[in-house]
Amino acid sequence: MRPSALMAALYPPAVRQRWGAEISRQVAESGVRSWPDALLGAARLWLHPGDWPETTSGQTRQVLTVTLFAVTAATALLVRAAGQPVLTGSLRHPATSLWLAPILLGAALGAPAPPLRWRALRRLATVAARTLAGPAIAVAAMIVTAHAGVLHHPAGHARIGLLAGYWAVLSFTALRLCTLTARYARTAHLPTTRRLRASAMLIGAGLSLAAGQSLIFLSRTAPGTRSLTLALALSLLAAATITAAHDLRT
Amino acid sequence: MHSADAQMLVLTVLADGPRHGYAINTAIEELTGRKLGPGSLYGALTRLEARKLVRPAGAGGDAADRHRTMQITDAGRAALRAELEQMARVSQAGLRALGTAPA
Repeated sequence: MRPSALMAALYPPAVRQRWGAEISRQVAESGVRSWPDALLGAARLWLHPGDWPETTSGQTRQVLTVTLFAVTAATALLVRAAGQPVLTGSLRHPATSLWLAPILLGAALGAPAPPLRWRALRRLATVAARTLAGPAIAVAAMIVTAHAGVLHHPAGHARIGLLAGYWAVLSFTALRLCTLTARYARTAHLPTTRRLRASAMLIGAGLSLAAGQSLIFLSRTAPGTRSLTLALALSLLAAATITAAHDLRT
Repeated sequence: MHSADAQMLVLTVLADGPRHGYAINTAIEELTGRKLGPGSLYGALTRLEARKLVRPAGAGGDAADRHRTMQITDAGRAALRAELEQMARVSQAGLRALGTAPA
């Protein structure tokens, strides 16, 4: 993909459909010096969903539903990557798992309701099976490899390869789940703007809690690159989610 | 460029007649000596349309072209007039303070 087309692809779908060709043309004409402005413009528009020109009915709600799911998936990957004991997801550790409660509540509130028609449900099941077949095979292969005992204590290149494979499978699964949400949102009953706003607020609150817990952990231990990155990424995600929620007009 | 500045420039240019994105930027370059970046220009157009200060022009060209050619609305003209009048007052006060304009 050419850089100019990539820049246009970073804009929210409604803006991309209206202005994508022109954005791409102007970026191609102006070259690298226009990239910061193009990137900043895309980021600003993602933070203001109330400004998106709807080219189809319910488009903003559909895109936001998928975006909120993507934020939740990205958070799960981030927390897994950091592996901090202060951010858990277990009922046995309620204090360190508190951050997860508003996120799960927000995700449930923002989830589209399934269409209650037999034909639509059957179609949805087919789409889910097709979309998740790849990740299911990848996860199964990973589990089989782990239990086969072929590599008990991998070192060097084998260890790097296994780690890369593990993260590739997790990222691929998260990506396909986002794709499924996007396909599902096309036919399902989308949440109202008010519900989406509440959902984004709850997810933003959960992210803020997670960022706070991560910062407390940082203040008590020797700050490392991984924990600093996690705290920063969670804070940015929290700020972006809450800003976008504020902008939603109900 | 600040988002509000970009919006005012776009409104000023559109007050002269409907234009598509590229022509808007060319007119801004003639007015100020430099073009807006793509993020500033299309961000401004998107926000102005959301505030109903501009809208797609209804006539001329094919459907896609009509969709991308923008024109200022009556609310847009009123908002631009208010903004320019305020700027003129600030400008006059500044010039008076510098002693380069009559009191």
